[in-house]
Amino acid sequence: MAENPANRPILVDLQDVHLSFGAVEVLKGIDLTVAKGDAVSIIGPSGSGKSTILRCINGLAQPQAGRITVAGIRVDALRSEAERIALRKRIGVVFQQYNLFPHLTVLENITLAPVRILKVPRAEAERHARDLLARVRLADKVSAYPSALSGGQQQRVAIARALAMRPELVLFDEVTSALDPEMVGEVLAVIRELVREGLTSILVTHEMRFAEEISDTIAFTENGRIVAQAPPAELFYRSDNPRIRQFIGGFQGFRDAVQDREGI
Amino acid sequence: MIDAALQRFIAGAAALGLHYDFLLSGGEVRSWLAGMAMTLLLVVLAIPLSLLAGTAFAAALTSGRPWLAGPVRAYVELTRNTPTLVQLMFAFFALNMLLSRALGGAAHNPFSPVFWVVAVTGLHVAAFHAEALRGGIEAVPAPLVEAAQATGFSGLEILRYVTLPLALRTALPALVNNLVNLVKLTTIGSAVAVNEVTYASIMIWTQRDNVLELMIVILLFFGLINLTVSRIGRAVERRLAVPGYGVGYGV
Ligand SMILES: Nc1ncnc2c1ncn2[C@@H]1O[C@H](COP(=O)(O)OP(=O)(O)OP(=O)(O)O)[C@@H](O)[C@H]1O
Ligand SMILES: [Mg+2]
Repeated sequence: MAENPANRPILVDLQDVHLSFGAVEVLKGIDLTVAKGDAVSIIGPSGSGKSTILRCINGLAQPQAGRITVAGIRVDALRSEAERIALRKRIGVVFQQYNLFPHLTVLENITLAPVRILKVPRAEAERHARDLLARVRLADKVSAYPSALSGGQQQRVAIARALAMRPELVLFDEVTSALDPEMVGEVLAVIRELVREGLTSILVTHEMRFAEEISDTIAFTENGRIVAQAPPAELFYRSDNPRIRQFIGGFQGFRDAVQDREGI
Repeated sequence: MIDAALQRFIAGAAALGLHYDFLLSGGEVRSWLAGMAMTLLLVVLAIPLSLLAGTAFAAALTSGRPWLAGPVRAYVELTRNTPTLVQLMFAFFALNMLLSRALGGAAHNPFSPVFWVVAVTGLHVAAFHAEALRGGIEAVPAPLVEAAQATGFSGLEILRYVTLPLALRTALPALVNNLVNLVKLTTIGSAVAVNEVTYASIMIWTQRDNVLELMIVILLFFGLINLTVSRIGRAVERRLAVPGYGVGYGV
């Protein structure tokens, strides 16, 4: 099992996960560990299987081999849709494309699942939703429709919507990739705050500086494998894997930082 | 007062060569009004039936379950591609007869001609509703459905809270069109002697030779019903309009 310095319980554990779509092998033996309260980032080239890893964790994709344990549940052993639904209620997901329900207001987007799935009384769900909207700094957008919001605002609503289910784990899949540069900061600020408060999260991201700043560990994926999972400083500055060095070096601004530290 | 107005109308119409004097004969007027009431009853029963069945058919067609989608697909194709009149004849003369026999005689058969007219027209139009709604359901972007799945909604909950509400918005103009057709379709009730407005009119004009006079009123009557249907449809459209989606799209 991967290192777990704080000795916190392991919330997510993937061991040797294999997944193929038809003849295409997408995951070729994934090992990943996330301790409770940790933020783990997954970085790596496009098509290397990052989103598929997240989809395995909440049971949206089913691997052919390997063990996936989330909060004590053997996800790979779940056979019925009802069991997978029970799992998904405990895991929040935020997507690149926000995916807010276009026919519902911001408040309705956030309360729909708690009211309909968890059967939370509407008044209580709305109170919680307003609290969450205040946290993502959108208290004034309660009755707006998604189409009336900027990308950054929609993404913050999507984060609030995920948190409304009081998840034990939140998966963020490239949540800033579709945003205009000036909106990236406002979304990252929200995530940073959540991570500081102890939210367990897995973030697929191309924001290297952000990943370095907030992550407890970073996993580097390539071609269906996790090449390394290590604390940011180790992975970014002390890795002797040329592919990792090359990938990280390819991100603008990062090269300079790496070179600074290496005294080049 | 009403009598005086009626007299004046009949006189005025007569001046134009139209003979509405049957309006003064109590029996014919009563059966004519009963015909209008029957048409309204057929419409009021068949519209909700068509919408409920159409929704259920659309759900089956998009369920991804062959044992559910297959039979419904077959039904939809059959009903869309055969004349409704023939369907009604089949239902009333074949199905109803078999039912009567199975139940030990027509006296024990609870299904009236009105029942069959409502069932056939309602389920016929339901096939068209189903196609319109299916198109709308399939047009919902896959990532949106995946987001709902990831939240923990079941397939049926996703249909109810996400895809169907969105499909309704895109399909609404088509649904209203189907309902307008449904209203007109109720006239096939005359083929099985249901006393709807055309049947009642035929009874009168075979006695009086006033086809044109009755036709004018029938056309106005259906025009009025369908004007109302369209108006309600537009009102629902406006109520459901969401900026950036479906009927409100691009406006
Ligand atoms: N449903 C599917 N059917 C077939 N192939 C798929 C499916 N989903 C993903 N793939 C393939 O699996 C591979 C990994 O996809 P995945 O989306 O996990 O990559 P990713 O690392 O998230 O990439 P990106 O950075 O572009 O989002 C890709 O080659 C993709 O084409
Ligand atoms: Mg991806």
